[in-house]
This record gives sequence, C-alpha cells and structure tokens, in this order.
Amino acid sequence: MAKPAKRDLMSDAPYGEYGRTATLISTPEGVILPFINASFGERLGALLIDFLIMAAIPIVLLIVWVILPMEHFKEDHKAASSIMQVLGLAAWFFVRSGYFIFFEMGPKAATPGKRALKLRVVAHDGGRLTPAAVFTRNALREVELYIPLGLILGGASGTGNPMLSLMAFLWALALVLLPLFNKQHARLGDFLAGTRVIHMPKASLSYDLADLEGDARIGLTFTPEQLAYGEMELQVLEQVLRERKPAVMRAVADKIKARISWQAPKNSADMPSDETFLRAYYGALRAWLEGKMLMGKRRKDKHEAALT
Amino acid sequence: MAENPDHSNAPKPVLQLKSQKFRDARQGDWRLLNAQLDKAERDGLKSFSIDELLNLPVLYRSAMSSLSMAQSISLDRNLITYLQTLCARAYVYIYGPQTRLKEVLSSFFVRAWPRGFRALGLELILAFVLFFGGAILGWVLCAQDDTWYHFFLPGELRSVDSSVNDLKETIGGNTEDSALSPFAVFLMGHNTQVAIMAFAFGIMFGLPTFALLIYNGIPMGAMLWLFASKGLGVEFAAWLSIHGTTELFAIIIAGACGLHVGRRLIFPGDQPRRESLIGAGRLTGTVMIGVAAMLTVAGCLEGFGRQLITESWARFSIGGAMLVLWLVYFFFVGRERRHG
Repeated sequence: MAKPAKRDLMSDAPYGEYGRTATLISTPEGVILPFINASFGERLGALLIDFLIMAAIPIVLLIVWVILPMEHFKEDHKAASSIMQVLGLAAWFFVRSGYFIFFEMGPKAATPGKRALKLRVVAHDGGRLTPAAVFTRNALREVELYIPLGLILGGASGTGNPMLSLMAFLWALALVLLPLFNKQHARLGDFLAGTRVIHMPKASLSYDLADLEGDARIGLTFTPEQLAYGEMELQVLEQVLRERKPAVMRAVADKIKARISWQAPKNSADMPSDETFLRAYYGALRAWLEGKMLMGKRRKDKHEAALT
Repeated sequence: MAENPDHSNAPKPVLQLKSQKFRDARQGDWRLLNAQLDKAERDGLKSFSIDELLNLPVLYRSAMSSLSMAQSISLDRNLITYLQTLCARAYVYIYGPQTRLKEVLSSFFVRAWPRGFRALGLELILAFVLFFGGAILGWVLCAQDDTWYHFFLPGELRSVDSSVNDLKETIGGNTEDSALSPFAVFLMGHNTQVAIMAFAFGIMFGLPTFALLIYNGIPMGAMLWLFASKGLGVEFAAWLSIHGTTELFAIIIAGACGLHVGRRLIFPGDQPRRESLIGAGRLTGTVMIGVAAMLTVAGCLEGFGRQLITESWARFSIGGAMLVLWLVYFFFVGRERRHG
C-alpha cells in the first residue's frame, strides 16, 4: 500500500498520542470510536506483572507452610491436612488456568497487570465482551506459551527431545512475536476470540485557548491571506500553547511572523509577548478554519490550497 | 460583532466561536458523566439512586452525540480528545462484560451450551471414534503381546505381574477416612489440562488434537485389557464408569471443539478465513466453558462416589444415569420451537 502523502494528525495520533494506531469500533449508537491499540511493550509488561503475581502465590503459600509449626499437624489431623492439600492443589490449578479468565470476566475486563498499564479487553466488533470470548482467548495461552515453554524447559534440563524443544522454541517465538506483525497488536487468542486489547488513556478537559474578546481588545487582527495554515498546524500550535515552553513559543512565533510577513508595531511598548501573539493568531486561525468547516470546506495542512 | 446602539442597556453579546458556545452549553453534562463513571468504577452501580441510574444512559447518549457534533464543528483538539476518552470509557462501562449472574447462568445452561454442542455435529462423532479407536488399539496391541502394556503405561503400579487381589484392591473403596482425596483434585486438574490442550491444539489445524485423542484412548484400552485378562473386566469397567462417563464425555467434547476449529481454519467456506475463525472461536469457547463444568462434576463424582460406593452394580447405575442425563440434556434442552 502506498504511504499517504499527507499526514492527517487526528488519525496519526489518536488521543494526542503519537506513533500509535487505533482500532475503530462502531458502537451500537452508530458513532465510530477510536480505541488505541495496546503496544507490544505494554502487553509484554502486563504479562510479566501477571506472571510475577502468579509466581508469588505459591511462594507465599510455601512460606506460610514453612513458618507454621506443621511437623506434627499431618499425623494429628488427618482430615484437616488432606483438606489443606486439596486447597493447595486448587490454588495451583486456579493460578495456571483460572487467573486470567477470572479477572477478565470482571467489570474492568483486565488482569492486575493490565490494569496497572491501563489496558483492557474489548470485543473487536463493538458488541459486548462475552465470557466465551474471554475463555477462548485465554485457553489459547496453552498452545501459545505454556506447552512450548514446558517442552523448552524439558529440552534445557536434558530430559526432553532437543529437536522437539527447538521446534517448540521456534513455534513459541513466532507466536509471541505475532502481535508485532499486525496493526492492532493482536495475538492468536485475540484472533480466535474476536477480542482486542486496548489502552485507555485518561484525559482532562482543559480551558479553551481561543479568546476572541480579549484579542479584539488588544487589537491584534489578521487578514485571511495571513491565516495561511491548515488544521494540522492549528493543532500543533494548540499543543505549543498548552505546554507553554518559552523557547518553543519564541521559535514558533518567529516562524509564523516571517511566513505571514507580519508588521510589528512601531512603538516597542505595544509589542505583544510571544504568547499573546500566538494566542491571538490561534484564535483568528481557528475562527477562520471553523467558519469554513461549517460550510464543508476543510484544509488539512499548509500544503493544501488556501480556502477562499 | 457590531454593538447595537438601541439596546445599549442589554448585556453585550460575548464574542464567541460556535464551537465555544457548543462547549459552554454541553460541558456540564460531560463533567457529570465523568463523575458518574468515576463513582461507578469506584463503588459499583449499587451506590446509584434510581434517578441517577435512569440518567446514566441519557448522559452517555448525549456525550456520544456531542462527540459526533464536535468532530464536525470544532478544531479544539483537547476538547475532541477529552470527548473521545469520555465516550470510550462510558462505552466500555455500559457495554462491558456485566449482566446479572442469574441471567448469564440461565441463558448459558438453557440455550447457549446445548445448542453449541449440537452445532458441533460430525466432529463429535469423529472425536468419539478417535478416542475409542485409540482404546481398541491399546487393547488389541496388548492382547497380541503384553510387553506393549509397559510401553504404554511405564511405571504404572498395576502391572502385568500383579496378582488378582492386588488389582482388586486398587479399584476397591478407599480405606482412609478422607472422602475428598487430594488425588481426585489433582486428577481433575490434569483432565482439565488435557481437555484445554485438545481444544487449543485445534489452532494448529486440528492435527495434534487427532493425536491427543488417540493417545489418551490407548492407556485406557490397555488397562481394560489387563483387568479383563485377570477376570476383573466388569469390576474395572464399573470403577471407571462412575465418573468416566462424565469425564470421557467431556474430553471427547473438548476434542470435537479442537477439530471444529481446525476444520473451520482449513475449510472456511464462503467466509474469509478470519471471520470463520472468529465464528468457530465463539462457538467452541461457549462449549468449552460447559466442558469445564462437566469436569468439575466428574471430579466430585470421583472424589466422593468412587471411594464410597464400592458395589459394581451401584457404580454402573450411577455412571449410566449420568450418561443418560447428559445425553437427554444435550439433545433435548434449548431446542428452538418450530413454527408451522
């Protein structure tokens, strides 16, 4: 596929996060919502956290077992000790097969590791996440990871067949790396279950930067020819104004002034600060572009033809 | 905007963009929805009053409409990002995996599971043939040459040289007082693992599932042969049947799920392969949850029943009753009513 010549800021950087792709999900209301795909690193991190928690459960149980004075317990209370053993085995069983399923069926649809990295599981067709889907995507972990891992460990300790463990290693490697080779970073279980793992950022509603009233009082106005930028530049400008770094604002202001051949006021006392200038320019540009947008005319970036 | 000299007393209209007016009019609702979502995620829906509860979908829909509106009239990136995040949060909360437990259970056991089972069709027969074909193979090979037995079951306690009494003891009642033995739980975990593997291997075109089914059938046939050759065939079959009818049934269903995934992967039919795979995953995932429930039942039967009930006829009748129960359940529950 040919690379699109012009950048579309909104789709290049969903939720203002650059370099990430989004899965578009059409909700039952017919609104298309972009969801940021969890990156490979995030998914790996979440998995490692979950594995650490899973490994901690038997270790804690073992420590409790060692600390408690249990030497004579087994002989003294046969029934109780067998119940303890049953509980221990059930815990082991839960850890291996039930941990992911249990947490992903909950209201947050995420394991503790995923929660820590702000990830969650959604159905990729926009519908409800069903228990069957959660079961399927986690049952596939057996083939993707656990069984090959067992074979590899068997080969490494010398008890298994080295050829078999090499094959298992290649198989596991291919499946672990599979999320790198599709845009939505889905693994095999996600494909089979029709689920995706997404990243849920937190965003807050900031103040509106455009203050036409204030700009009118200062008297900073621009002609339509001077508003020679598109939507992408407007959004970059918005980001600069929200970050408020003096050096960046100075550079951006100088660049804009040169491009639009802005006439500085004669009296140096009337010279607006960089921020004041940029905010006025932002307000004027946004008013111009939004006005045209209402008429169905859009300008993606400065390389497109100017609006009339 | 020009001032109107005739109405100089009236408040001067503020110079604002359309997108700013839009924002001023609606942002109260957005902030309210945000607060409600925080509350719902923190305390759950139980902490909501009736009015708040009824208002939640209204707020959600209003935020959704604000988003589509904002995307066509506003270039304020912060605003759009905020609305997208808010809608995404509300969406995953409202369409999240939450239904009442009772509804989930009833719709699963009355409709989804038996229907899913029936949809498997031929794969069930194939899995059945593979497993019992493996068992027959085990029997026949051992009957030809009894060294095969040690090959199939290395390190097994019950060997060819065991006396009739020794063998009888292993299938008798448990002499210890604990009914729920840890061994039963271990076995249940192991069988669940076998079932999950048989299912999950379906993604490798179902070929390992073939092997796994045969591979799990062979030792059973070999053991049956051993006991039959010592004249204990009926007792052993009774010992096996009490939980085996449920457990082996579950493993066969799991195998059928694996084969189904493999078939839909190799022969997707009219659909694209990815769609076909998702359909197969949805169907078999549902059936597999039921398989896990079946294995739990089998574990309970094994833990309590096998050690406490020692009469062969009682064991047979429980095993047979379970089999009939499962068959009736799978073939008659949740049938769609035919009209006309």
